[in-house]
Amino acid sequence: MKKLVTITVNGVTHELAVEPRRTLLEVVREDLGLTGSKKGCGIGDCGACTMLVDGVATFSCLMLAIQADGCVVETVESLAENGKLNKLQRSFVDVGAIQCGYCTPGMLMMATELLRRNPHPSEKEIRRSLSGNLCRCTGYQKIVEAIKAVAGE
Amino acid sequence: MILPRFDILIPDTIGEACAMLSQYADKGVKIIAGGTDLLVDLKRPIVPSEIPTCKGCSTHKSGGVRSTIDCGWWETDSSQESDQALLKKVQDSIHKYPEYLISIHKIKELHGISVNEKGNLRIGAMTTITEIERSKVVREKWTALAEGADSLGSPLVRNRGTIGGNIANARPAADTFIPSVALSGILTIQSEKGSRKIPVDKFATAPGKTVMKEGEIITAIEYPAPPKFTGSAYYKLANRKALEISNVGVAVWIALEKPGGPVADIRVALGAVGPTPIVAESVKNELIGKLPDNETIKKAAGAARDDARPIDDHRGSAWYRSMMVELVTDRMIRLAVKRAGGEV
Repeated sequence: MKKLVTITVNGVTHELAVEPRRTLLEVVREDLGLTGSKKGCGIGDCGACTMLVDGVATFSCLMLAIQADGCVVETVESLAENGKLNKLQRSFVDVGAIQCGYCTPGMLMMATELLRRNPHPSEKEIRRSLSGNLCRCTGYQKIVEAIKAVAGE
Repeated sequence: MILPRFDILIPDTIGEACAMLSQYADKGVKIIAGGTDLLVDLKRPIVPSEIPTCKGCSTHKSGGVRSTIDCGWWETDSSQESDQALLKKVQDSIHKYPEYLISIHKIKELHGISVNEKGNLRIGAMTTITEIERSKVVREKWTALAEGADSLGSPLVRNRGTIGGNIANARPAADTFIPSVALSGILTIQSEKGSRKIPVDKFATAPGKTVMKEGEIITAIEYPAPPKFTGSAYYKLANRKALEISNVGVAVWIALEKPGGPVADIRVALGAVGPTPIVAESVKNELIGKLPDNETIKKAAGAARDDARPIDDHRGSAWYRSMMVELVTDRMIRLAVKRAGGEV
Protein backbone atom coordinates (compact mmCIF):
# COMPACT_ATOMS: atom_id res chain seq x y z
CA MET A 1 0.00 0.00 0.00
CA LYS A 2 1.28 3.44 -0.90
CA LYS A 3 2.23 5.74 1.93
CA LEU A 4 2.40 9.50 2.07
CA VAL A 5 5.81 11.03 2.65
CA THR A 6 7.11 14.57 2.76
CA ILE A 7 10.57 15.00 1.35
CA THR A 8 12.39 18.27 0.75
CA VAL A 9 14.59 17.94 -2.32
CA ASN A 10 16.89 20.80 -3.24
CA GLY A 11 14.83 23.27 -1.23
CA VAL A 12 11.45 22.23 -2.61
CA THR A 13 9.10 20.28 -0.35
CA HIS A 14 7.23 17.47 -2.06
CA GLU A 15 4.36 15.44 -0.71
CA LEU A 16 4.38 12.09 -2.43
CA ALA A 17 2.52 8.81 -2.28
CA VAL A 18 5.13 6.08 -2.62
CA GLU A 19 5.12 2.32 -2.63
CA PRO A 20 7.19 0.94 0.30
CA ARG A 21 9.57 -0.96 -1.94
CA ARG A 22 10.67 2.09 -3.94
CA THR A 23 14.06 3.56 -3.20
CA LEU A 24 14.85 7.23 -2.72
CA LEU A 25 16.79 7.12 -6.00
CA GLU A 26 13.82 5.75 -7.94
CA VAL A 27 11.46 8.36 -6.52
CA VAL A 28 13.82 11.29 -7.12
CA ARG A 29 14.59 10.21 -10.68
CA GLU A 30 11.21 8.92 -11.80
CA ASP A 31 8.64 10.91 -9.80
CA LEU A 32 10.51 14.19 -9.41
CA GLY A 33 12.32 13.99 -12.73
CA LEU A 34 15.71 14.85 -11.24
CA THR A 35 17.86 12.51 -13.27
CA GLY A 36 21.23 13.94 -12.25
CA SER A 37 21.76 11.17 -9.70
CA LYS A 38 22.68 7.95 -11.49
CA LYS A 39 21.93 4.32 -10.84
CA GLY A 40 25.06 2.26 -11.22
CA CYS A 41 25.14 -1.03 -9.36
CA GLY A 42 21.97 -0.62 -7.31
CA ILE A 43 23.55 -2.46 -4.36
CA GLY A 44 25.70 0.15 -2.67
CA ASP A 45 29.02 -0.66 -4.29
CA CYS A 46 29.56 2.20 -6.74
CA GLY A 47 28.34 5.46 -5.20
CA ALA A 48 26.92 6.92 -8.45
CA CYS A 49 23.59 7.53 -6.67
CA THR A 50 25.09 9.49 -3.76
CA MET A 51 22.81 12.20 -2.34
CA LEU A 52 23.05 14.17 0.87
CA VAL A 53 20.25 13.21 3.25
CA ASP A 54 20.11 15.65 6.17
CA GLY A 55 23.65 16.55 5.19
CA VAL A 56 24.96 12.98 5.30
CA ALA A 57 26.27 11.38 2.09
CA THR A 58 23.97 8.44 1.45
CA PHE A 59 23.60 5.91 -1.33
CA SER A 60 20.05 6.55 -2.41
CA CYS A 61 19.72 3.14 -4.09
CA LEU A 62 19.75 1.45 -0.67
CA MET A 63 17.53 3.88 1.17
CA LEU A 64 13.79 3.43 0.94
CA ALA A 65 11.96 6.62 0.01
CA ILE A 66 9.75 6.07 3.05
CA GLN A 67 12.81 6.18 5.29
CA ALA A 68 13.53 9.66 3.91
CA ASP A 69 10.17 10.96 5.16
CA GLY A 70 10.78 14.37 6.75
CA CYS A 71 14.36 14.54 5.50
CA VAL A 72 16.15 17.25 3.58
CA VAL A 73 17.71 15.80 0.46
CA GLU A 74 20.33 17.43 -1.75
CA THR A 75 21.19 16.11 -5.20
CA VAL A 76 23.76 17.20 -7.77
CA GLU A 77 21.16 19.57 -9.27
CA SER A 78 21.43 21.71 -6.12
CA LEU A 79 25.09 22.57 -6.66
CA ALA A 80 24.89 25.09 -9.50
CA GLU A 81 24.27 28.66 -8.35
CA ASN A 82 21.95 30.78 -10.53
CA GLY A 83 22.48 28.50 -13.47
CA LYS A 84 26.26 28.64 -13.17
CA LEU A 85 28.52 25.79 -12.09
CA ASN A 86 29.78 26.20 -8.54
CA LYS A 87 33.48 26.23 -7.63
CA LEU A 88 33.72 22.48 -7.20
CA GLN A 89 31.94 21.70 -10.46
CA ARG A 90 34.05 24.32 -12.28
CA SER A 91 37.17 22.72 -10.86
CA PHE A 92 36.08 19.27 -12.14
CA VAL A 93 35.69 20.76 -15.63
CA ASP A 94 38.91 22.78 -15.53
CA VAL A 95 41.09 19.95 -14.23
CA GLY A 96 39.55 17.38 -16.55
CA ALA A 97 38.03 15.24 -13.81
CA ILE A 98 35.13 14.26 -16.06
CA GLN A 99 35.43 11.51 -18.61
CA CYS A 100 32.22 9.63 -19.31
CA GLY A 101 30.58 11.56 -16.46
CA TYR A 102 28.56 8.73 -14.98
CA CYS A 103 30.28 8.77 -11.58
CA THR A 104 30.51 12.58 -11.51
CA PRO A 105 27.24 13.36 -9.66
CA GLY A 106 28.21 10.93 -6.90
CA MET A 107 31.78 12.19 -6.74
CA LEU A 108 30.56 15.80 -6.51
CA MET A 109 28.12 15.05 -3.70
CA MET A 110 30.71 13.05 -1.77
CA ALA A 111 33.24 15.89 -2.17
CA THR A 112 30.59 18.43 -1.16
CA GLU A 113 30.00 16.59 2.12
CA LEU A 114 33.75 16.26 2.76
CA LEU A 115 34.46 19.95 2.11
CA ARG A 116 31.60 21.06 4.37
CA ARG A 117 32.91 18.93 7.20
CA ASN A 118 36.55 19.63 6.52
CA PRO A 119 37.25 22.59 4.20
CA HIS A 120 40.95 21.76 3.84
CA PRO A 121 41.30 17.98 3.62
CA SER A 122 44.62 16.31 2.90
CA GLU A 123 45.00 14.13 -0.18
CA LYS A 124 44.74 11.08 2.06
CA GLU A 125 41.46 12.32 3.51
CA ILE A 126 40.10 13.02 0.02
CA ARG A 127 41.02 9.54 -1.19
CA ARG A 128 39.54 7.90 1.89
CA SER A 129 36.34 9.88 1.49
CA LEU A 130 35.99 8.77 -2.15
CA SER A 131 36.79 5.13 -1.42
CA GLY A 132 33.16 4.09 -1.93
CA ASN A 133 32.75 5.90 -5.24
CA LEU A 134 33.90 4.02 -8.30
CA CYS A 135 35.01 5.63 -11.55
CA ARG A 136 35.12 2.99 -14.28
CA CYS A 137 37.12 5.33 -16.52
CA THR A 138 39.64 5.12 -13.64
CA GLY A 139 40.01 8.90 -13.67
CA TYR A 140 40.67 9.06 -9.95
CA GLN A 141 43.85 11.14 -10.18
CA LYS A 142 42.10 14.07 -11.84
CA ILE A 143 39.11 13.82 -9.51
CA VAL A 144 41.38 14.04 -6.48
CA GLU A 145 43.24 16.97 -8.08
CA ALA A 146 39.98 18.80 -8.78
CA ILE A 147 38.93 18.50 -5.13
CA LYS A 148 42.41 19.47 -3.95
CA ALA A 149 42.29 22.60 -6.09
CA VAL A 150 39.14 23.71 -4.27
CA ALA A 151 40.40 22.57 -0.86
CA GLY A 152 43.67 24.44 -1.25
CA GLU A 153 42.03 27.83 -1.67
CA MET B 1 16.86 -4.83 -9.80
CA ILE B 2 13.61 -3.66 -8.33
CA LEU B 3 12.82 -4.67 -4.78
CA PRO B 4 10.11 -7.30 -4.26
CA ARG B 5 6.81 -6.10 -2.82
CA PHE B 6 6.59 -5.64 0.93
CA ASP B 7 4.78 -3.41 3.34
CA ILE B 8 6.64 -1.25 5.80
CA LEU B 9 5.96 -0.63 9.47
CA ILE B 10 7.56 2.27 11.33
CA PRO B 11 7.38 1.93 15.12
CA ASP B 12 8.21 4.82 17.47
CA THR B 13 9.22 2.71 20.47
CA ILE B 14 11.00 -0.58 21.12
CA GLY B 15 7.78 -1.93 22.65
CA GLU B 16 5.86 -1.25 19.46
CA ALA B 17 8.57 -2.88 17.37
CA CYS B 18 8.44 -6.03 19.53
CA ALA B 19 4.64 -6.16 19.27
CA MET B 20 4.86 -5.88 15.47
CA LEU B 21 7.48 -8.63 15.34
CA SER B 22 5.18 -11.11 17.05
CA GLN B 23 2.02 -9.90 15.31
CA TYR B 24 3.42 -10.51 11.82
CA ALA B 25 5.74 -13.41 12.67
CA ASP B 26 3.90 -15.96 10.50
CA LYS B 27 3.81 -13.62 7.49
CA GLY B 28 7.56 -13.24 7.29
CA VAL B 29 8.86 -10.11 8.91
CA LYS B 30 12.33 -8.57 9.04
CA ILE B 31 13.83 -5.63 10.82
CA ILE B 32 15.50 -3.08 8.57
CA ALA B 33 18.17 -0.93 10.19
CA GLY B 34 20.60 0.71 7.74
CA GLY B 35 19.48 -1.57 4.93
CA THR B 36 23.01 -1.95 3.56
CA ASP B 37 22.81 -5.74 3.80
CA LEU B 38 19.07 -6.47 3.83
CA LEU B 39 18.14 -4.47 0.73
CA VAL B 40 21.07 -5.95 -1.18
CA ASP B 41 19.81 -9.44 -0.32
CA LEU B 42 16.27 -8.52 -1.34
CA LYS B 43 17.47 -7.13 -4.67
CA ARG B 44 19.07 -10.38 -5.74
CA PRO B 45 17.10 -11.73 -8.69
CA ILE B 46 14.79 -14.65 -8.10
CA VAL B 47 15.68 -17.90 -9.90
CA PRO B 48 17.43 -15.81 -12.53
CA SER B 49 18.01 -17.93 -15.61
CA GLU B 50 14.79 -19.90 -15.42
CA ILE B 51 12.14 -17.22 -15.57
CA PRO B 52 10.34 -17.68 -18.91
CA THR B 53 9.07 -15.10 -21.34
CA CYS B 54 5.65 -13.61 -20.64
CA LYS B 55 3.05 -14.69 -23.18
CA GLY B 56 0.98 -11.59 -22.65
CA CYS B 57 -0.83 -10.57 -19.49
CA SER B 58 -2.48 -7.57 -17.90
CA THR B 59 0.88 -6.10 -16.89
CA HIS B 60 2.84 -6.85 -20.07
CA LYS B 61 0.09 -6.54 -22.67
CA SER B 62 1.89 -7.77 -25.74
CA GLY B 63 4.16 -10.15 -23.87
CA GLY B 64 7.67 -10.88 -25.07
CA VAL B 65 9.40 -9.66 -21.89
CA ARG B 66 10.74 -11.83 -19.12
CA SER B 67 8.05 -12.54 -16.59
CA THR B 68 8.35 -10.85 -13.26
CA ILE B 69 7.00 -12.14 -10.00
CA ASP B 70 3.94 -9.93 -10.27
CA CYS B 71 3.34 -10.92 -13.89
CA GLY B 72 -0.30 -11.85 -14.48
CA TRP B 73 0.69 -14.68 -16.81
CA TRP B 74 1.57 -16.86 -13.85
CA GLU B 75 -2.00 -16.82 -12.68
CA THR B 76 -3.83 -16.91 -16.00
CA ASP B 77 -2.03 -19.12 -18.44
CA SER B 78 0.32 -21.57 -16.85
CA SER B 79 -1.46 -24.72 -17.86
CA GLN B 80 1.60 -26.65 -19.00
CA GLU B 81 3.11 -28.96 -16.44
CA SER B 82 6.63 -27.60 -16.74
CA ASP B 83 5.22 -24.12 -16.22
CA GLN B 84 3.38 -25.26 -13.11
CA ALA B 85 6.56 -26.72 -11.66
CA LEU B 86 8.43 -23.53 -12.40
CA LEU B 87 5.62 -21.46 -10.96
CA LYS B 88 5.87 -23.41 -7.72
CA LYS B 89 9.59 -22.84 -7.61
CA VAL B 90 9.20 -19.12 -8.14
CA GLN B 91 6.41 -18.92 -5.57
CA ASP B 92 8.50 -20.80 -3.02
CA SER B 93 11.33 -18.37 -3.47
CA ILE B 94 8.94 -15.44 -3.16
CA HIS B 95 7.77 -16.78 0.15
CA LYS B 96 11.30 -16.56 1.46
CA TYR B 97 11.01 -12.80 1.14
CA PRO B 98 9.48 -10.96 4.06
CA GLU B 99 6.02 -9.51 3.56
CA TYR B 100 6.71 -6.85 6.16
CA LEU B 101 9.76 -4.79 6.98
CA ILE B 102 9.96 -3.00 10.30
CA SER B 103 12.05 0.13 9.90
CA ILE B 104 13.37 1.06 13.33
CA HIS B 105 15.04 4.37 12.39
CA LYS B 106 12.59 6.48 14.37
CA ILE B 107 13.15 4.78 17.73
CA LYS B 108 15.22 7.32 19.67
CA GLU B 109 16.44 4.93 22.41
CA LEU B 110 18.27 2.89 19.77
CA HIS B 111 20.57 5.75 18.80
CA GLY B 112 23.66 7.11 20.45
CA ILE B 113 26.90 6.44 22.28
CA SER B 114 27.14 7.00 26.04
CA VAL B 115 29.37 6.13 28.99
CA ASN B 116 27.60 5.40 32.28
CA GLU B 117 28.72 6.14 35.85
CA LYS B 118 30.58 2.83 36.08
CA GLY B 119 32.55 3.78 32.98
CA ASN B 120 30.84 1.20 30.76
CA LEU B 121 30.27 2.10 27.13
CA ARG B 122 26.77 1.72 25.71
CA ILE B 123 26.11 1.93 22.00
CA GLY B 124 22.53 1.87 20.72
CA ALA B 125 21.89 -0.74 18.04
CA MET B 126 20.95 1.87 15.40
CA THR B 127 24.14 3.90 15.91
CA THR B 128 25.87 4.19 12.56
CA ILE B 129 29.39 2.98 11.95
CA THR B 130 30.39 6.58 11.07
CA GLU B 131 29.23 7.79 14.50
CA ILE B 132 31.40 5.12 16.15
CA GLU B 133 34.34 5.96 13.88
CA ARG B 134 34.16 9.64 14.88
CA SER B 135 33.53 9.10 18.60
CA LYS B 136 36.52 10.34 20.60
CA VAL B 137 35.74 8.26 23.69
CA VAL B 138 35.46 5.04 21.67
CA ARG B 139 38.79 5.69 19.96
CA GLU B 140 40.50 6.52 23.22
CA LYS B 141 39.28 3.66 25.42
CA TRP B 142 37.86 1.00 23.09
CA THR B 143 40.36 1.53 20.27
CA ALA B 144 39.84 -1.84 18.57
CA LEU B 145 36.18 -1.01 17.96
CA ALA B 146 37.06 2.37 16.41
CA GLU B 147 39.56 0.59 14.15
CA GLY B 148 36.90 -1.94 13.18
CA ALA B 149 34.58 0.93 12.26
CA ASP B 150 37.38 2.54 10.21
CA SER B 151 37.83 -0.54 8.08
CA LEU B 152 34.19 -1.43 7.42
CA GLY B 153 32.94 -1.06 3.83
CA SER B 154 33.19 2.47 2.48
CA PRO B 155 32.19 5.90 3.85
CA LEU B 156 28.77 5.46 2.23
CA VAL B 157 28.26 2.06 3.85
CA ARG B 158 29.42 3.44 7.20
CA ASN B 159 27.03 6.39 6.97
CA ARG B 160 24.02 4.05 6.73
CA GLY B 161 25.20 0.78 8.28
CA THR B 162 24.63 0.22 11.99
CA ILE B 163 26.49 -1.73 14.65
CA GLY B 164 23.33 -3.65 15.55
CA GLY B 165 22.88 -4.71 11.95
CA ASN B 166 26.53 -5.60 11.49
CA ILE B 167 26.42 -7.93 14.49
CA ALA B 168 22.90 -9.26 13.84
CA ASN B 169 23.97 -10.55 10.43
CA ALA B 170 26.50 -12.75 12.22
CA ARG B 171 29.02 -12.93 9.41
CA PRO B 172 32.31 -14.28 10.77
CA ALA B 173 34.29 -11.43 9.16
CA ALA B 174 32.11 -8.49 10.28
CA ASP B 175 34.36 -5.60 11.21
CA THR B 176 32.59 -4.43 14.36
CA PHE B 177 31.73 -7.99 15.43
CA ILE B 178 35.34 -9.18 15.88
CA PRO B 179 36.49 -6.20 18.03
CA SER B 180 33.26 -6.49 20.05
CA VAL B 181 34.21 -10.08 20.91
CA ALA B 182 37.70 -9.05 22.01
CA LEU B 183 36.30 -6.16 24.07
CA SER B 184 33.84 -8.50 25.86
CA GLY B 185 30.75 -6.75 24.50
CA ILE B 186 27.34 -7.73 25.83
CA LEU B 187 24.21 -7.48 23.69
CA THR B 188 20.85 -6.46 25.08
CA ILE B 189 18.07 -8.29 23.28
CA GLN B 190 14.45 -7.38 23.83
CA SER B 191 11.13 -9.02 23.06
CA GLU B 192 7.57 -8.70 24.31
CA LYS B 193 8.49 -11.08 27.14
CA GLY B 194 11.27 -8.86 28.45
CA SER B 195 14.96 -8.42 27.83
CA ARG B 196 18.01 -10.63 28.12
CA LYS B 197 21.75 -10.13 27.82
CA ILE B 198 24.07 -12.21 25.70
CA PRO B 199 27.87 -11.97 25.51
CA VAL B 200 28.83 -11.20 21.90
CA ASP B 201 31.04 -14.30 21.69
CA LYS B 202 28.02 -16.54 22.45
CA PHE B 203 25.79 -14.77 19.90
CA ALA B 204 26.58 -16.45 16.58
CA THR B 205 26.09 -20.19 16.11
CA ALA B 206 26.96 -20.46 12.39
CA PRO B 207 27.47 -18.01 9.51
CA GLY B 208 24.33 -15.85 9.52
CA LYS B 209 22.75 -17.89 12.35
CA THR B 210 22.36 -16.60 15.89
CA VAL B 211 20.80 -17.43 19.24
CA MET B 212 18.07 -14.84 18.60
CA LYS B 213 14.52 -16.13 18.67
CA GLU B 214 11.46 -14.99 16.79
CA GLY B 215 10.16 -11.65 18.03
CA GLU B 216 13.49 -10.45 19.41
CA ILE B 217 15.39 -7.28 18.59
CA ILE B 218 18.90 -6.13 19.52
CA THR B 219 18.60 -2.82 21.34
CA ALA B 220 22.14 -2.04 22.48
CA ILE B 221 25.64 -3.33 23.04
CA GLU B 222 27.63 -2.62 26.18
CA TYR B 223 31.35 -2.82 26.77
CA PRO B 224 32.87 -3.01 30.25
CA ALA B 225 35.06 -0.12 31.37
CA PRO B 226 38.70 -0.91 30.60
CA PRO B 227 40.86 -1.38 33.71
CA LYS B 228 44.09 0.60 34.04
CA PHE B 229 46.97 -0.18 31.68
CA THR B 230 44.71 -1.58 28.97
CA GLY B 231 45.16 -1.43 25.21
CA SER B 232 43.35 -2.85 22.23
CA ALA B 233 43.84 -3.06 18.48
CA TYR B 234 42.13 -4.46 15.38
CA TYR B 235 43.54 -5.14 11.95
CA LYS B 236 41.68 -6.23 8.86
CA LEU B 237 43.83 -7.98 6.30
CA ALA B 238 42.10 -7.65 2.94
CA ASN B 239 42.90 -7.38 -0.74
CA ARG B 240 41.64 -3.80 -1.00
CA LYS B 241 41.52 -0.88 1.41
CA ALA B 242 37.78 -0.24 0.99
CA LEU B 243 34.61 -2.13 0.09
CA GLU B 244 36.21 -5.41 1.04
CA ILE B 245 35.60 -8.42 3.23
CA SER B 246 38.59 -9.50 5.27
CA ASN B 247 40.82 -12.49 4.60
CA VAL B 248 41.74 -12.43 8.24
CA GLY B 249 40.71 -10.02 10.98
CA VAL B 250 42.36 -9.96 14.40
CA ALA B 251 41.27 -7.98 17.45
CA VAL B 252 43.39 -7.97 20.61
CA TRP B 253 42.53 -6.61 24.05
CA ILE B 254 45.25 -6.69 26.67
CA ALA B 255 45.57 -5.56 30.30
CA LEU B 256 48.94 -5.25 32.03
CA GLU B 257 49.54 -5.43 35.78
CA LYS B 258 51.56 -2.21 35.53
CA PRO B 259 53.23 -0.24 32.75
CA GLY B 260 56.02 -2.40 31.41
CA GLY B 261 54.84 -5.24 33.67
CA PRO B 262 53.45 -8.72 33.05
CA VAL B 263 50.15 -9.43 31.32
CA ALA B 264 47.12 -9.47 33.65
CA ASP B 265 44.59 -10.55 31.04
CA ILE B 266 44.28 -10.91 27.28
CA ARG B 267 41.52 -11.63 24.80
CA VAL B 268 42.16 -12.33 21.14
CA ALA B 269 39.29 -12.59 18.63
CA LEU B 270 39.87 -14.00 15.16
CA GLY B 271 37.65 -13.13 12.20
CA ALA B 272 37.10 -14.88 8.85
CA VAL B 273 38.92 -18.01 9.98
CA GLY B 274 35.95 -20.03 11.22
CA PRO B 275 32.16 -20.22 10.91
CA THR B 276 31.84 -17.68 13.74
CA PRO B 277 34.33 -15.32 15.40
CA ILE B 278 36.86 -17.40 17.33
CA VAL B 279 38.22 -16.53 20.76
CA ALA B 280 41.82 -17.73 20.77
CA GLU B 281 41.79 -19.20 24.29
CA SER B 282 45.24 -20.76 24.16
CA VAL B 283 46.83 -17.33 23.86
CA LYS B 284 45.91 -16.82 27.52
CA ASN B 285 48.11 -19.73 28.63
CA GLU B 286 51.05 -18.31 26.74
CA LEU B 287 50.81 -14.76 28.03
CA ILE B 288 48.97 -14.30 31.33
CA GLY B 289 51.38 -13.67 34.19
CA LYS B 290 54.32 -13.36 31.83
CA LEU B 291 56.22 -10.36 30.54
CA PRO B 292 55.15 -9.62 26.96
CA ASP B 293 58.59 -9.96 25.44
CA ASN B 294 59.54 -10.92 21.91
CA GLU B 295 59.66 -14.68 22.46
CA THR B 296 56.44 -14.89 24.48
CA ILE B 297 54.47 -12.89 21.91
CA LYS B 298 55.79 -15.08 19.11
CA LYS B 299 54.64 -18.18 20.97
CA ALA B 300 51.23 -16.62 21.69
CA ALA B 301 50.73 -15.76 18.02
CA GLY B 302 51.54 -19.37 17.15
CA ALA B 303 48.92 -20.50 19.65
CA ALA B 304 46.35 -18.24 17.96
CA ARG B 305 47.18 -19.84 14.63
CA ASP B 306 46.44 -23.27 16.08
CA ASP B 307 43.06 -22.04 17.39
CA ALA B 308 41.95 -20.77 13.96
CA ARG B 309 39.91 -23.05 11.70
CA PRO B 310 40.18 -21.40 8.29
CA ILE B 311 38.84 -22.82 5.03
CA ASP B 312 39.88 -22.41 1.39
CA ASP B 313 37.74 -19.96 -0.54
CA HIS B 314 38.06 -17.28 -3.21
CA ARG B 315 39.50 -14.81 -0.69
CA GLY B 316 42.41 -17.00 0.28
CA SER B 317 43.55 -20.52 1.10
CA ALA B 318 43.39 -22.04 4.55
CA TRP B 319 47.18 -22.28 4.54
CA TYR B 320 47.60 -18.58 3.75
CA ARG B 321 45.04 -17.60 6.35
CA SER B 322 46.77 -19.66 9.04
CA MET B 323 50.05 -17.92 8.31
CA MET B 324 48.35 -14.54 8.36
CA VAL B 325 46.56 -15.22 11.65
CA GLU B 326 49.97 -15.75 13.23
CA LEU B 327 51.50 -12.66 11.63
CA VAL B 328 48.59 -10.29 12.31
CA THR B 329 48.08 -11.57 15.87
CA ASP B 330 51.78 -11.02 16.56
CA ARG B 331 51.56 -7.42 15.32
CA MET B 332 48.30 -6.66 17.08
CA ILE B 333 49.54 -7.98 20.44
CA ARG B 334 52.61 -5.73 20.14
CA LEU B 335 50.46 -2.74 19.25
CA ALA B 336 48.00 -3.41 22.08
CA VAL B 337 50.86 -3.83 24.58
CA LYS B 338 52.30 -0.50 23.46
CA ARG B 339 48.93 1.16 23.88
CA ALA B 340 48.60 -0.37 27.34
CA GLY B 341 51.83 1.36 28.36
CA GLY B 342 54.15 -1.57 27.97
CA GLU B 343 57.28 -2.02 25.91
CA VAL B 344 57.99 -4.73 23.43
